[in-house]
Amino acid sequence: LVVAGVSHRTAPVEIREALAFVKEALPETLRRLRADGPMDEVMILSTCNRVEVYAHATDPAGADRLANFLAVSHGRASQELDTYMYRLRGDEAVRHAFRVAASLDSMVIGEPQILGQVKEAYQIADEAGTLGSLLQALRNRSLASAKRARTETGIGHNAVSVSYVAVELARKIFGDLRDRNVLLVGAGKMSELAARHLVRNGGRATVLGGRTFAKAEQLAASLGGRAMPFESLREELGRADIAISGTGAPGIVIHREDVAAARAARRRPLFLIDIAVPRDVDPSVRDLEGVFLYDVDDLRSVAEANLRERRKQAAAAEALVEREAREFLDWQRSLDVVPLLVELRRRGEEVRAAEIAKVRARLGALTPEQEEALQAATTAIVNKLLHPPTVQLKEVSRNGHASEHLGLIRKLLGL
Amino acid sequence: MSSHTYLALALAFYTVGALHVFLHALTRRQLLTSWTAVTTLGGFILHTASLSQRWTEAGHFPAVGLHDTASFLAWAIVLAFLVTFVRTHVEALGLAIYPVVFGLVLLAYVSPEGGAPDAIVRSLFLPVHVTLAFFGYASLFLAFAMSLLYLIQERELKARSPRAFYYLVPSLERCDTISAASASIGFVFLTLAIITGMLWSHAARGHYWAWDAKGTSALVAWIIYVALIVTRYRTGWGGRRAAYAGIVGFAAVVVTFVSITLGTGAR
Repeated sequence: LVVAGVSHRTAPVEIREALAFVKEALPETLRRLRADGPMDEVMILSTCNRVEVYAHATDPAGADRLANFLAVSHGRASQELDTYMYRLRGDEAVRHAFRVAASLDSMVIGEPQILGQVKEAYQIADEAGTLGSLLQALRNRSLASAKRARTETGIGHNAVSVSYVAVELARKIFGDLRDRNVLLVGAGKMSELAARHLVRNGGRATVLGGRTFAKAEQLAASLGGRAMPFESLREELGRADIAISGTGAPGIVIHREDVAAARAARRRPLFLIDIAVPRDVDPSVRDLEGVFLYDVDDLRSVAEANLRERRKQAAAAEALVEREAREFLDWQRSLDVVPLLVELRRRGEEVRAAEIAKVRARLGALTPEQEEALQAATTAIVNKLLHPPTVQLKEVSRNGHASEHLGLIRKLLGL
Repeated sequence: MSSHTYLALALAFYTVGALHVFLHALTRRQLLTSWTAVTTLGGFILHTASLSQRWTEAGHFPAVGLHDTASFLAWAIVLAFLVTFVRTHVEALGLAIYPVVFGLVLLAYVSPEGGAPDAIVRSLFLPVHVTLAFFGYASLFLAFAMSLLYLIQERELKARSPRAFYYLVPSLERCDTISAASASIGFVFLTLAIITGMLWSHAARGHYWAWDAKGTSALVAWIIYVALIVTRYRTGWGGRRAAYAGIVGFAAVVVTFVSITLGTGAR
């Protein structure tokens, strides 16, 4: 296996953009690459954080040819991109493929999108007919190990983006979000995004509109909720479990008295998210019992804490993925000697059959007992002779030296 | 094997379980793996064997003196924990359960078996009353533990800085619900225990109620739990107040348990 590409680790976004492939053009590109390469199997992974070409090539220059293709197909000279590009071969390339799929090489460790992107990349290559046994096997093993890493370690746990942190905190307070009332005060991009996540998890939205009530109605409709005039703030706050405030107002919009009045009617907690800068909610409401107020900075610091938590988990995931990658490599190496072993056995059987035929011609008809003895003796001879080389070959292949010695071994065995 | 040997083996199993839970809490992995489940279950089976062996050895229901009560209470707590875990899968409970179970079993292991006058140990009230009371204590201990987890997590959420508990404890809502459910079950047991205690007292001494330490503290605990349960079911959310009640109520329960154990051994 060989890999060439650029990622967020090696190249700035301008370079990654310049080398990215359009999804629609991928099948055509894949077929051309295989024909021009020449390569047996090719796959291209193109996301906003990485552009990589995976291929099965037997010669060591394969990675260079991939790098060259990547540059030339975007009208660049390959020397120009040398500093940004990495080229990986053999074990290194396999390890890389496993780590990428498991989101260990991602900008945000454990982000879930990469798994889908890798899946899709294999799918496109599969449909374009450029996958063979190696990449198919790599696909199965690396995706399975990525799923294991996600379920068995905590790399995917805990939100790391601000709007997801809001959802996670809401879950930490309320558990199930089904039928929780979500109040939106003012419609900004970020508050809308957070509200959308909450609604997707079962929350029911109410949008408070200000001067431009039509806008609030529109947003409410898209969230499957209802719009109310801003004057009903206290009343709505009394019904709300979660309130997101993101107005562009210069001063405080939700005062301590509003929240205190809302709390008087209800004993359930109130989760206030203040996404506005300058802030909308009077920070002193924090002292009220059952009120949890988070502003943008708070959400961000939770996101950072979560990311630190994920990095702790990454070590366990690295170990797991490394183990799976090594298993894959062992399996791949054992394939090298399998045809040889089959051939060796076939040769042995061939010689045995030929010698028996000769003996029969000389001795004439044999009794069933004699026939049986002859078969048994010759089979035993072949098996005993072939046993040590079979065991040794398997051993050598496990240690990873088979491919280097395969030629010599064939010569010695006369195959 | 003697009841003591069984108890030592159970202690060994619980120790492994306790160490396992704490190591995992430190690394923030899944708290209860199949390993912990196996050691806990193994410990529980050995513990059950120890109790039944002790019953045979003593010739009466083993609920007399510190050795018996500590062992029996630990057993009831493990049982309550296993039932709760199967129903809710709240792993963080292990953090409260294991140290207490370990401590109680160790206490039972080092303290000598006690005896009591025939009138007490032959009474049918002994097994009935003690079993009801100890199941009550175990459930109320779980309610206490969940209340504690609720308060710690609420503090972390209010302070806007997630620390260890943020990653280990289920949502506030769940802590609140499980705590209330355990308190309700514990309350039923406690009520039945008080009634059987009164009947026993009447049968043995001719009066239903004596204002001694155990009676008074049991009554105080009972009133606190009534208040907790009534408000919880009226508002649908206990919150911080219910959590405090769960803790204070349990403190009264501890006083009751201690005065029984250090006192005459029974009413």
